[in-house]
Amino acid sequence: MSLLRLRAALAGTARLRGAGIPWSVLRNYSSASAKERARRNGICERTELLEVLKARVKQLQAGSSPELGLSKVELGDAEQQEPLQQALAAGPQQDPAPRARQESPAWPRGWVEKMKKEMQQRQLKVEQRLSIAAPEPAPESQGEAKPKSKAKAKKTKAKKSQKTPKAEVAAAWSQSPASSQSACSHLEPRAAAAKKATKVQRPQQGLKDKDSNQFKVLQQTIQSSLECFLFLQQPEEAERLLLLYHNSPAKRRFLDINCYNIVMQSWARKGHLHRIQCLLSMLESVGLQPNLDSYAAVLECMGRTLVSPKTVRRYVQQLRTDGFHVDELFQKCLFEDDGKEKVLKVIRIVQPNYQLPPPPEPEICKSSLLQDFYSRDKAVSYPKLEFSVEELQERFQQQLELELNNTVTIQSVEASKPLTPQATQARALLASLRGQWQDSVLQALQHSKRQMSKFKKASGHNLLYPYLCLLPEEEYVSIMLQILSSLSPQGVSLVVLARELGSKVYDRYITLRKLRSRQLEKVQEIYGDYIHLLAKDGQPKEYLPREYWEKLVAEAGFGPSLNLKECSWPFMVQMRLGMHLLELLVQATKVPRNILNPRLEPKLVPLLYHIYSFQSSWQVGLLKPHPAFSQLLAEAAETELTFNSSAIPMLCPPVPWTSPRFGAFLLNDTRLMRFVDGAAQHQQLLERCPPADLHPVLDALNQLGNCAWRINRPVLDIIVSIFNARGDEKLDIPPPLSEAPRPPAAPGSPSALSKSQKQELLLCKKKAAEMHSLRMDALYKLSIANHLRDKVFWFPHNMDFRGRTYPCPPYFNHLGNDVTRAILLFAEGRPLGPKGLDWLKIHLINLTGLKKKNSLQERLDYANEIMEDILDSADRPLTGRKWWMTTDEPWQALACCMEIAKASRSPDPAAYISHFPVHQDGSCNGLQHYAALGRDLIGAISVNLMPCSVPQDVYSAVAQQVEEFRRKDARQGVKIAQVLQGFISRKVVKQTVMTVVYGVTRYGGRLQMEKRLKEIDEFPEEYLWEASHYLVKQVFNGIKEMFSATRDIQNWLTESAKLIAQSGQTVEWVTPLGLPIVQPYYRSKSTVLNCGMQHLSVKNSSGDQKPNTVKQKNAFPPNFIHSLDSTHMMLTALHCLRQGLTFVSVHDCYWTHALTVDVMNQICRQQFVALHSERILQDLSEFMLEKYCSPGRETRAQWQKKLTEQLSSVPKTGRTQGRNCQAQEQFGDKGEFNLEEVMNSTYFFS
Amino acid sequence: SETEWLVQHLQGPAVPFRRFIACPRLARTVQQCLQGGASPDHQPVLLEYAPGPGILTRTLLNAGVRVVALESSSAFLQNLQSLENSLDGQLKVIHGDLFRLDPLGTGPVKPPAMYSDQLFETMGVAAVPWRADVPVKVFGILQQRKERNILWRLLFALYECSSIFRYGRIELNFFISEKEYKVLTAKPKDARAYQALTVLWQVGCEIQLLHMEPWSSFVTNSKNGGLAVPKTMWLPNDHLCLVRLTPRQDLFAGSLKPTNSLPFIFTVKQCLAKPKSKLIDRLNSWSLDKGGKLLKELEIPQNARTRDLCPEGYRRLFEALQTSDMFTETWFHDDALESIRNI
Repeated sequence: MSLLRLRAALAGTARLRGAGIPWSVLRNYSSASAKERARRNGICERTELLEVLKARVKQLQAGSSPELGLSKVELGDAEQQEPLQQALAAGPQQDPAPRARQESPAWPRGWVEKMKKEMQQRQLKVEQRLSIAAPEPAPESQGEAKPKSKAKAKKTKAKKSQKTPKAEVAAAWSQSPASSQSACSHLEPRAAAAKKATKVQRPQQGLKDKDSNQFKVLQQTIQSSLECFLFLQQPEEAERLLLLYHNSPAKRRFLDINCYNIVMQSWARKGHLHRIQCLLSMLESVGLQPNLDSYAAVLECMGRTLVSPKTVRRYVQQLRTDGFHVDELFQKCLFEDDGKEKVLKVIRIVQPNYQLPPPPEPEICKSSLLQDFYSRDKAVSYPKLEFSVEELQERFQQQLELELNNTVTIQSVEASKPLTPQATQARALLASLRGQWQDSVLQALQHSKRQMSKFKKASGHNLLYPYLCLLPEEEYVSIMLQILSSLSPQGVSLVVLARELGSKVYDRYITLRKLRSRQLEKVQEIYGDYIHLLAKDGQPKEYLPREYWEKLVAEAGFGPSLNLKECSWPFMVQMRLGMHLLELLVQATKVPRNILNPRLEPKLVPLLYHIYSFQSSWQVGLLKPHPAFSQLLAEAAETELTFNSSAIPMLCPPVPWTSPRFGAFLLNDTRLMRFVDGAAQHQQLLERCPPADLHPVLDALNQLGNCAWRINRPVLDIIVSIFNARGDEKLDIPPPLSEAPRPPAAPGSPSALSKSQKQELLLCKKKAAEMHSLRMDALYKLSIANHLRDKVFWFPHNMDFRGRTYPCPPYFNHLGNDVTRAILLFAEGRPLGPKGLDWLKIHLINLTGLKKKNSLQERLDYANEIMEDILDSADRPLTGRKWWMTTDEPWQALACCMEIAKASRSPDPAAYISHFPVHQDGSCNGLQHYAALGRDLIGAISVNLMPCSVPQDVYSAVAQQVEEFRRKDARQGVKIAQVLQGFISRKVVKQTVMTVVYGVTRYGGRLQMEKRLKEIDEFPEEYLWEASHYLVKQVFNGIKEMFSATRDIQNWLTESAKLIAQSGQTVEWVTPLGLPIVQPYYRSKSTVLNCGMQHLSVKNSSGDQKPNTVKQKNAFPPNFIHSLDSTHMMLTALHCLRQGLTFVSVHDCYWTHALTVDVMNQICRQQFVALHSERILQDLSEFMLEKYCSPGRETRAQWQKKLTEQLSSVPKTGRTQGRNCQAQEQFGDKGEFNLEEVMNSTYFFS
Repeated sequence: SETEWLVQHLQGPAVPFRRFIACPRLARTVQQCLQGGASPDHQPVLLEYAPGPGILTRTLLNAGVRVVALESSSAFLQNLQSLENSLDGQLKVIHGDLFRLDPLGTGPVKPPAMYSDQLFETMGVAAVPWRADVPVKVFGILQQRKERNILWRLLFALYECSSIFRYGRIELNFFISEKEYKVLTAKPKDARAYQALTVLWQVGCEIQLLHMEPWSSFVTNSKNGGLAVPKTMWLPNDHLCLVRLTPRQDLFAGSLKPTNSLPFIFTVKQCLAKPKSKLIDRLNSWSLDKGGKLLKELEIPQNARTRDLCPEGYRRLFEALQTSDMFTETWFHDDALESIRNI
């Protein structure tokens, strides 16, 4: 569970760029052990995030890191050298590189690749330098003389050093117009073209892919800089930058039509038609075709000035001859501000009767699983909230205000503590220091901007300058100063801080853009109408939130303009911006050094110091606050916490998701799918997907997000009282730092310590750091909860790349630990009904972890038996017998006790209005899906797919099976089997069985076993290795025996993924609900950013890299199963909606009111049956065959044949018995599991 | 041929990659190198690390050297032990590994890991004062994969006078790769080679090149018989270099002491983490605010880069820092303490 939580937390921070990423979460990179890290990596790429934080040292690199010898390559005999040079000199069109490499002997390949990698890195650096400090004067008069000579100089330079392979790489790269074009067409908005481009790109490998990746980064950088100028309304600057590239034949290839369009738009805003005409002729001169957006800019511009109808007619005519239609302008272009009205005005000059095109008919999802759900005649009214339109409107205003402020400062739960005079003094000092910093940082910022603009005037373009002009200067300063108060005393990696700063600026910029482009006004207008669907006094019914929103948008005639144009900044730009701000901060902040020690002379010293932490051959640059400052902060014990507004649950129902880029918060930019930095392929995939295919997923997320919550105040108060006292580790309330173990008093200076004392000191420090981070995490959660104690709130949801759903606010949400879950209640209350009280009691017993193997009735009986303890816990939680503290999930148990007490004491328990969520958990959900896929009878029984009187326990079953194998072997005299007598238990096998579904390997399984066996004191140590080796083999055999199809399916998935990845492609599939999925695992490549303070090595992952075969293959089975469990959850959510249930989920744990548990259980089972009645594996196989092995290509490579064979041999499932009949007889007929039985299985989810 | 058989036998997933001396000519060269320089009447005991098939051992024994052989692989142990038994105390064979001495964890250790006091007791060598003559010579071929790691660990032991250096100035004679030798002996301003390791070794030891031998002269236990020469981009690496590292007698003569040597190592590491940065910036970034004055006193130019300062300069800089009150601030010590554990 803790792992899950960690991942959830990470996922949260990954997405919520703006949320003040607390170091408590991100610090893990240094404290997590290597093993832990490896484990996390194995499961989920997302945690890679943490690994990104390493900065690489040049110095050590030169010494000991793996590197290649240039001289070596040159010394290699001619045969090996030839393919290498071919590969290097390969023109992009013929592309003999992959083939050449296949022919070359196996071993030099590594070198070749490594060398290329390094070359590329260097090349990028060079290129960046060029783009930042382009030393050519701005060619105001479009004079081409200077850039040309510059280019010449560059060429001759290249020639000079052409002897080395390095120069050849560079040359090959800079002269590959074909690759640039393919990348351009890739960006074209028209879906067909994009598709074509990807198809063409697929077989391209090797050199060019890497090139085009860097190419894209540069292209994005130019585009986002141009957009900055558009936002700043500085068309002159935008044009200057454009010309800088346009006029240089070498750099021109970085420009695509979008760049010109942006400049045109910025002129259009000002109504300078002649500038746009110039740009159009420039387009022509470089052979680019104007597209729809170009015409939109022209027309908008004409709308802002006086032009003759003749001119208008000419352009409209040209638009038509280019194959566009006027209607398309209003259907496809994303207008900002009043652009649309202006264009319409101009069109009406030539076509006075022109009417806006009617909105497209809403499409309806055709998934067979949801036919009922979407059928119009069965539509049911959408469940209403308990609020009136007016109340919701008010809440909307509150939320809007919150998001407009960008950050929110709340009182922490520690505020209730009394204030000491010492603290008052410290706070005053802090306040005065902050005032000083405010001024000095502002000055530093202004100074650096002045320097930059001077430089810019002298010599061209400065990359960062426009990004430093977007916000008012004070906002940059406050963003920078925010960093200070959350800085850990142990220091934070520069990379983390830089990213945080960069993304905060970005978020703020997006907000401002939304304001300026009047997007917010439009959202406000639609939302005002939208809440009528949800409010109790609203009229409309029979719509889904998304449908209603879309309808309102169509009626208002906004078209697609509610969406903001894609304007994300390249990761590199964000990092550079962040680093620049960080450098300013380090320079400008000072602190008197005598805070700690008044005897020292009062001198100002830097507040932050930059220091390296060494980890074998790596070194990580850290920024640490001066200890005096940390001490001051601790003394001041400030009780204000500042969060990004997206870290707080919403105060009004979220905006429904209507597209991959629109939904959730009102202003905060939220993505439908979370991803690690720089991985854009998910978003591309979603955008390419037909909109109707995404409807089920969007509707499910909307349903989860529309659940209203409130705080369980009595429980919160108890938790806070313990938190503010001394904490309690047993109850998972982290104690304050004052409870941390103290190192023994040091005699004199620290250097005089003995080795063991030093060791102890280090341990104490480590423990204190851990405690601090846990404490802060809890402080954030509880403080947010306390802030919301009297409010109703909502958690907008999004999902990860497998479709698993998560609430967006990262700290406080229902996915959290026992403590957070215990303080959450449904805002909506429902009567308990006849069976509700019983469900509450059963739920309580489930939370205790007792009676796991007993039937529901027995659990209920037990609850009734201990009713006295339950009531005592509820009445005197801290002074009574404290039964609740002994349970597995004590806080939720306590909350449940209280609810039971209230309900049972009410005059009519059945009428008692309960807000309490009751959970139903899938038992080993992953194996449930496998068992159902393979129709394994024994397996199905053991994971409760078959009706049984008592719940089955798969772990005991496997343990039994393994014991049986062992006995057999022992009788045959296998030594290790004899040694293991009496040691095989449920506990030993549990972890391995649980993780089998998630793709644990024999290697990992053995380590798990070894750990378990080590815990058994009596087990002879010398047999550890052999025994664990034997056991893991037997567990795998046991699972194979019980889930005979599971291993087959797993192997098939793994093998398919391996072949796909080996062919240079990533594994993609589509869930039964139509959600497209791509596995984002690539061979990591890092780019070195040369910043003043330190070189940063930043890993970037984007679609053009080669897939990481090992990860692609190992992660496919678990990811596939996760995509199935998320599908099951979404199906259940949607059908619960149709039945009017409140429903939320924590992956495979479903929550609803006590009244509706029975209904939910039924729906959950129905949907499981429906899901597995689909031809899941066959569909997968067909999809992949189509995708990876589509026939009709002239050359069918060897790998394609192999892959086709592999993908076609779908393992046995319920649907394909015929083929495997023989095999089945061979193994003895174990009978087949009848899927319908799930309907009657009580313990399937319980 | 027996040697080769033995070496070939030493394969498998758990066996580390090793390099051996197999040719008698090379053995004789090494023996001469090792014995050169020392007076014939005082010949300290020679600790041979990982002798393997024992070619060099025999050469040394024939030359009359007292040898303690420290072998971690049981594959070679038997042979060595029978050799030990055939002699009259001139050879002592111990099952152990020089670079698994004094493990950090607590609890009983199993060979080849062991504690240094155990080793020295078995060798029968008692501790001598730092300024006394070399009590023990060590010879070995550094394990290639851990080369740098070993060099760092030895440095810490040297500066803290812990582990083997508790017994005096142990003289180290190691075959190390040429590129690492270039690092150890690099001069200031050398962009590639001048590193923290350089400064610390040059301050701590006299470094003497005894012999250079091409990689191909050594036998390896790799499966395909490959030489597995470590790759390098910037530094030459055609040989293994036999280097003698003799701890300096006057290492702790100034204000540098085993007790305060950690901050020294830390300072050097921090400075040379970014060799192109200015020394003054480094000093200032740690709030050691009198940087400018200090540099002036030491006659170091204000714009000196960290890689410009010679090893002796670092030592003087540190001693100056020691005497000023700057190091009284505890955070510097804390960081130093933390950072060293991560080698």
